[in-house]
Amino acid sequence: MEPNEGIIYEYVWIVIVAAIVAGLAASLAYYGIALDLNPACNATPIDVDKVLQEFKPGVKELGPGIYQVDILAGQFFWNPNKIVLKDPVRVEFRITSKDVVHGFEIVGTSVNVMVIPGYIAEFSWEPPKNAEGRYLIICHEYCGIGHQEMKAELIIERTNTLLDGADIDALEVTGGDIGKITEPTYIEFEGVISG
Amino acid sequence: MRLDEDLFAKITVVFSFIIMAVGGLFGLVQALNRVPFLEMPGLLEVSDANYYRILTCHGVCLAVAIPIYWITGLAAFLSPRILKVGLDKRLLGLSLAMMLLGGVMATIVILAGKANVLYTFYAPMKAHPGFYWGAALLILGSWVFIAAFVKQYLQWRRQNPGVGTPIAIYGLLATFIVWIEATTPIVITVLKDFIPMSMFGKHVDVLETRTWFWFFGHALVYFWLLPVVTMWYYLIPKKLGVPLFSESMAKVAFILFILASTPVGLHHQFTDPGLAPEYKYMHTVLTLIVASPSMLTGFNILATMERAGRAKGGNGLLGWLAKQPWKDPVYLGLVVSMIIFGVGGITGIINASYQLNMVVHNTAWVPGHFHMTVGNMVVIGYTATTYAMLADLFKRKLISKTTAYSHILLWSIGLFIFSLAYYYVGLHGAPRRTSNIEYGGLLPQSWVFPMEISAIGAILMFAGGVFAVYTVLGSLLFGKSRGVQIPGFSIGNPHPEATTFNPLLENLKFWVIFAALLIIVAYIFPFYEIFSRGLSTVPPVATGLG
Repeated sequence: MEPNEGIIYEYVWIVIVAAIVAGLAASLAYYGIALDLNPACNATPIDVDKVLQEFKPGVKELGPGIYQVDILAGQFFWNPNKIVLKDPVRVEFRITSKDVVHGFEIVGTSVNVMVIPGYIAEFSWEPPKNAEGRYLIICHEYCGIGHQEMKAELIIERTNTLLDGADIDALEVTGGDIGKITEPTYIEFEGVISG
Repeated sequence: MRLDEDLFAKITVVFSFIIMAVGGLFGLVQALNRVPFLEMPGLLEVSDANYYRILTCHGVCLAVAIPIYWITGLAAFLSPRILKVGLDKRLLGLSLAMMLLGGVMATIVILAGKANVLYTFYAPMKAHPGFYWGAALLILGSWVFIAAFVKQYLQWRRQNPGVGTPIAIYGLLATFIVWIEATTPIVITVLKDFIPMSMFGKHVDVLETRTWFWFFGHALVYFWLLPVVTMWYYLIPKKLGVPLFSESMAKVAFILFILASTPVGLHHQFTDPGLAPEYKYMHTVLTLIVASPSMLTGFNILATMERAGRAKGGNGLLGWLAKQPWKDPVYLGLVVSMIIFGVGGITGIINASYQLNMVVHNTAWVPGHFHMTVGNMVVIGYTATTYAMLADLFKRKLISKTTAYSHILLWSIGLFIFSLAYYYVGLHGAPRRTSNIEYGGLLPQSWVFPMEISAIGAILMFAGGVFAVYTVLGSLLFGKSRGVQIPGFSIGNPHPEATTFNPLLENLKFWVIFAALLIIVAYIFPFYEIFSRGLSTVPPVATGLG
């Protein structure tokens, strides 16, 4: 067999590989720039020694369906640990930690952000129109011995659940865990923000 | 202390298999304890604190210690045989002393429960200073070995001007260049931030230290796998008795690894606040580029296999596959590791795909991915190569081909079951790195059944691991008189070790400078963003059991 036999396939394959890489890069750029879909979010520095005085956790309704949710994370709690949103259109999250790194994840959605002490993570989320019911919020970054117990819940209430077909097709919730959380228990944390 | 190359290789290779046994046992315990609602028999049940303790040990031992020991052992064994130039024996002695001391020190601190920080040791969690000193000593010891390796290579280069670098040496050089790229940032941050934090309570900026960590963390992956890639390029054609399909393409692949394996760390930080989308996208593109040498490698090796199979009379579309030396456990292991790596690698493209990452970030998907890539490469690739070392380095026979096959088969099947189950629950939002995913009964039902399946996978993997450790250590202990002789590295060598000289491919100095520039460009912007905003430092938080 000639040493250079088949070398043409090598060049063909190089072109295919380059095309795959370029195609993936271009499609991700399209999502990021044209559709403004970016996992990145802003960070505002906050003095961690003053976080308990300066950062006020809670849910505020800024306008019809527009919520601001400020969440404080710590070993091993989310505060508030029960978030109720009625007909949410857009949710502005502001999340920070009083001690170590935590990970904020609403199971079954694409809400997934690192919570870094010293910084307030700020991002907005438009819940899919078919999102309704109870969602489990967990900590997905190891934060210490009680990490696996760190949880909260998000309750989305809808007064008008009639969706047209286009909405259902376009905005399916990833994971599809709606309604699967049936246990009526949720945890109350005591005295966690007093210190 | 002066140390012979072969003795160095024997010590490090044997040591890495002892660690594999410990780390693998911990892996099984973790996988079983994570299954929701599963009652564990007393011995295998661990408390939450002990779960994180053995998880730290599992990660540090398997992800950092084994590769360092085994890879330096492979290089000490192989390079003097190919280059016919010895390694500096003083540096070898110093390197081994530092690596063993550092590794043992870090392991003792972890097992004592003084470093429950996991392998990523994110600030401001604080471990005992012995953990950081041990890790630093281990890494600095590997640098001493690399100094000896580079000295040896330059000596060979002076003696052999105009000769192409043999592919095995080229691959090992790429491995070590990537390792230097990777470890420089981690040594900087450990010395500058973590040791002062642990010893004197220094306040550190968490976003900054995370960026330093992932500057290291992804290039580390290529350090693990490049020696196995090197063995595909080196041993597979040797076993087949044909030249590599395209040696220049192989060298191009290694150059791409040198260039793009490090400036990609932000793809572990896509969901971190405070890093601009532009920089994350830049690292996304570089990550896609670093996938390309793996695609080139897959093509090159398969083309070599096809050419050899057809020369032996394997006709038709797939007939050449039947003409492969599958009965050789070394060959089987290397090819199987390549196939599994291909599947795992594709899931890596999903992790790296920026927006898609939001769905899988820090979920069980991620351990699914890296067990299929690294867990497979390290265990099958390293073990199969070690089987080949038996004849040349240890002067032993393989204790049993059956146990060698059982290892490859059970490990591969178990790995697929485990990883596919983890992909599934990961897509459904189950987290990684938790001792338990029950959440007081609030967990989605969709997590339960796949986690039970994953336990079956883990048990099969563990059985495969037992066969691997048995085959290696059993051959060493009893292989002198018993067992089967299998061909090692020095079997029929139809193609010359030294190859054609291409000035551009041989000019590694140029490519290293190019890589350094690329790394600077990729990291100067995110660091500028972090520092120009003003650091926001936080005090350390203890995590020990006490």
